[in-house]
Order: sequence, then C-alpha cells, then structure tokens
Amino acid sequence: MASVTLQGVSKSFGSMAVVDAVDLSIDEGEFMVLVGPSGCGKSTTLRMIAGLEESTGGTIRIGGRDVTRLEPRERNIAMVFQNYALYPHKSVRENLAFGLKMRGTGKAEIEQRVTRAAQMLKIENLLARKPRQLSGGQMQRVALGRALVREPDVFLFDEPLSNLDAKMRVHMRDEIARLHRAVGTAMIYVTHDQVEAMTLGDRICVMRDGVVQQVGRPLEVYDRPANRFVAGFIGSPEMNFVEGAIEQRDGRLVFAAGEFTIPLAPAMAGTGKVTLGIRPEHLERDPSGFAARVVHIERMGDESVLTLDAGVALRVLIDRDDDVAEGDTLRFAAPPHRLHLFDKEGKTLRI
Amino acid sequence: MPSRYDWVIWTVFWSGLALTALFVGGPVLDALWLSLHQASSFIAEPRFVGLANYGRVVVDPEFWRAMGNGLFYALTSIGLQVVLGIAFALVLNQTFPAQRLVRGLATLPYLLPTVVVALTFQWLSDGSVGLVTVLMRDLGFGTIPWFEQPWTARMSVVLASVWLWTPFVTICVLAGLQTIPPALYEAARVDGAGPVALFWHVTLPQLKPVLTVVVLLRGIWMFNKFDIIWLLTKGGPLGATEHLPIMAYKRAFSLFDVGGGAAVATLSFLMLSIVVTIYLRLFPLEEKR
Repeated sequence: MASVTLQGVSKSFGSMAVVDAVDLSIDEGEFMVLVGPSGCGKSTTLRMIAGLEESTGGTIRIGGRDVTRLEPRERNIAMVFQNYALYPHKSVRENLAFGLKMRGTGKAEIEQRVTRAAQMLKIENLLARKPRQLSGGQMQRVALGRALVREPDVFLFDEPLSNLDAKMRVHMRDEIARLHRAVGTAMIYVTHDQVEAMTLGDRICVMRDGVVQQVGRPLEVYDRPANRFVAGFIGSPEMNFVEGAIEQRDGRLVFAAGEFTIPLAPAMAGTGKVTLGIRPEHLERDPSGFAARVVHIERMGDESVLTLDAGVALRVLIDRDDDVAEGDTLRFAAPPHRLHLFDKEGKTLRI
Repeated sequence: MPSRYDWVIWTVFWSGLALTALFVGGPVLDALWLSLHQASSFIAEPRFVGLANYGRVVVDPEFWRAMGNGLFYALTSIGLQVVLGIAFALVLNQTFPAQRLVRGLATLPYLLPTVVVALTFQWLSDGSVGLVTVLMRDLGFGTIPWFEQPWTARMSVVLASVWLWTPFVTICVLAGLQTIPPALYEAARVDGAGPVALFWHVTLPQLKPVLTVVVLLRGIWMFNKFDIIWLLTKGGPLGATEHLPIMAYKRAFSLFDVGGGAAVATLSFLMLSIVVTIYLRLFPLEEKR
C-alpha cells in the first residue's frame, strides 16, 4: 500500500500541452477518479503514473519513491485496460499468473494467490478457458483478477467499463467498489462517465484540456463546483446556464435576464454581468415563483424532464405528473442556496 | 437464389475449372501416366511397365541422396529465412528516419528476377575475379571454392536463396506485427515483462497465424525450387546440390529416361503432400473455436 503524489506533471508534444502541470495526491487506500471529456488528458495522466507514457515535466512519487523515470515494471503498479488486453493465447489461469511469474514468485504462492483472486471474482470455473471463450463481463473480471493477484502498491484503471453494456457496467461498478473495500489499496480510475465518478470515487478530479479543474469529494464537487465547466460536467441532466445580471428590484436582490428574474439570497451580492446556474433537479413547482410555458416533456417513468420557456430556456426535473401537458404554463422557484453564479471567466462567485 | 448475375458466376467458375484441368490436371495426369511406362526418349513409343520405374528409382542411392539434399536445402533455407525475416521485420517495425525508404529497399531482392540474382552471386564468388573471393583472399582467408566443394556449394545455394526470399517473410511478418494490439505490450510491461519476455509472450504468439502460413508456403516453394539451384550449380558438384526436382529433370531431359524422371517427380509430389497434410494437422490455419 502506498500513496501517489504528482507534482507539476506535464506532457507536451512540441508546444502542445496535453497535460499541464498537474498537482494531485492520492492517499493510501484512497479511490481517486480522474474524470473529464475525451481529450482532457486524464488517460495520459494515468499512463504517466503507469510509466507507459513519459512525462515531459514534473515528479511522480509512489509511496514516497520517485518513479518518474522508472519502467512500468519497476513501479509495482497494476493496470486494468479498456479493452482488457488479456493475453489471447494464454488460459485465464496463465493470464492471472503471468505477472507473478515474471517477478519470479514461487509456484506454490502463485497457485495460492491465483486461487484466492479467482474466488474473490468468482471466476474459478473459468480458469482453464481461453479469453476468446469468455463474455465481456467475464473478460473484465479476469482483467481485474490479473491486477489483483499482483498485490500492487496502487491499482490503475483506464475506462475499464466502457466496453460493457449498461447493465453489466452497473454490476461491475459495484464489483470494483467491493474490491476496493476488500483490498484497501489506493486506486486511480479514469472515466468520462460522471455517474461512475460520483459513485466510485472517494474523491474525484475533474480535468479539462490537460488542466485540473477541481479535486474534491463527489458531493462537494456537485454542491460547490469550482467553475462553470465543472458545474456543467457533473450532474445529469446538465445544469441550466442563463446569462444575465445581478440587480436590485423592489428592494430585493435578484438575478435578471430580460423578463426572467429569480430572487437571490442577500449574501449573493455582486455586480455586473454574471451567469446563473440552476440544476434541473433544484427547480420546484411553486405558486409564488416565475411563470414558464412547458415546451417539451420527456417522461422517464418515475420522473420527467420538462423543457421550459420562461423568457429563457430551462430544463426541469420533476416527479411524475401525468396532468402536465405541453403548452401548459406552470410556476417554478429554486431555493436561493441552490443557485450558482459564475463570473465572465466562468469562475464560481463564492458567497 | 437465382439472379441475373448467375451466368457470370457459372461462366467464370466453369472456365476456371476447365483451364485448371487443362493446364494443371492434364500435365499431372500425363506425368503419372508416363511414370507407369518405359520410354527411352520422347519420340519412342512408351511401353507399359507398371510400377517398375518406381522400383528402379526407390532402390537407386542417387534418389535418396537427392532427397537428403532437398530436405537439407529446404529446412536450412526456410529456417534462416524465417529467423532473419522476423529479425528484419522487428527492426523495420521501429520508427526511424527514412523508414519508408528503408522498408522499400529491404524488399528489393524479392523483386529481382532469379537469373539476375544467380548471375550476381556467381560473379561475386568467381574463383579468380569475384569480389567476395578477392576480398576474402586479401583478408587472409585463402581462396574459398564456393561452388567447387560439396558443402560450400550447398551453403552457397542456401545463402543465395535466403538472400532472395527473406524479404517475403519480412513483409508478411511486418504486416503481422502491425496488427498486434499495443495494449498487449502495455499490459505485459506493467506485468513485469522485459524486452525478451515481450517478444516471447506477446510478439511470437501473436505472429503464429502469419508464421504458420509463411512456413507452409516457403516450405512448398523451397522443396520444389528449381531455378536458383539449376542456375547456380546445375545440381553439382558431384550431385551435392542435386535434389528431387533437378534429378527428375536430368533423368527426363538429359538421360531421356522419361519414365524414371516422371516417377521421381511423382514420388516428390507424394511426399510433399504427406508432409503438408501432417503440417496442417499440427497447425490448423483456422483457429479452433
């Protein structure tokens, strides 16, 4: 077990910085998720930690040891790949044993560790098979097992669930969470899926264009996004953004965008042009709120997403209500403490 | 399902079959027929002798020597072609400046006509003015009688063949190398594999399908190879490089023992068929599901 520290880690091709001075520390036993849209540098960051990609700047430490210039095999890490990368000509058993064999582990111990990992992942009955005889979920289990037997200092996951169907993905997500509780080793997990990030991470690190945007506990990031990008990226359906200004109207502090106004908490003082952020799930039906016409309804069963025209376009997540119809005019309000304000550069205005 | 293109398929299929029967099946059957007859020349009226030609050939020590020579030639030249072919492909698969140019140059020998290669080798190894001969002599190795001694002649033929046909293996292996998923190498590197282990546990197993086909094709070609040996040594000296195809040719066209020549050719064909069948049993071209 070990912690991982990144200090100013960078990767650039010529003048193009793919990863730009990332500072990040992962504690012993922590589950850290790197999340962001494709091309944000999350995978490159992970691959630099693995040693598969050379960093062009900064220092990477695992358990206090500087590994920046070491080969992957000298870092005592284990990695799970998106395409599983199982050795096709080797049986499941040989796949699991390979890393230990390479390190000269004794036969008896290999046998014992492989058996234990296979039991944990419930793949004992697959040990004699070849990878091509496995389903996607089974291959993913074997890939997890191959990492597990190594008992590494840190586990690295590179979008391990993106090739699975939706149902299997949820299942394997639980499996990985369970595994983390069982082994208690630090895990660094890359995904573009914010649901995976929210549900798996002890902390999440949101990245964009090679730059870390925010690091924090999932709900902290959800409640207090550092900027407009993070606010839009975390949460589903996506947060509504409205361009406007803070104004005093009838002695009350409001956010106004043309006809549309919404009251702010007195502490949210600020001036000039700002962007308002409201999560769809934080708008509620309220007779004293603003009026809005329902333009479109997506019924998802238990909940519905309404697209509203309130002078500005807004999306709202409400509980199922079969009486609401397109064309209706309804009233909505949002609790002031659930509102977010961003300045011109997209930075959150802290209250 | 009938369609208006049916006639195209039928025409192409049957005309292909007819041409194959005429130009491949015909000569094969003719050779079989000849091998059962005695004819002292192509003009004389052939006389049916049953398996007498085979009996005559099988007890002839020359036949077994030719067989041994053929096996030696085929096995050593294939072995060297495959080993060198893989080595060159591994080098060419790296990124380096002028990569395309070097890759193109590396395939050049394969594009040369065999006659050109044979003449070049003869010229290089000429006993008095050959470039290699002179160089070796001046370096103090003495004059090496490339084509005059049995073993040097055998090795010279093998070397020329390897030089000529290794690019074929290189091209195939290079294509194979480019289909190996990079993630396999990365997984193995994380698992602790060094360069040798990577080659042994990732590259070689991934090349298996390509190598199976390459060894099969090269095996068939090298066992039947006629031109390069004939051009370089005509089977000499003292039959040291005479293998079954050359023996069959000499029997039929120099000694005018047409029946005997046909029997040698048929036996050669039979043995190759058996070896290929066993090979395909051991290394099926299609992976079992």
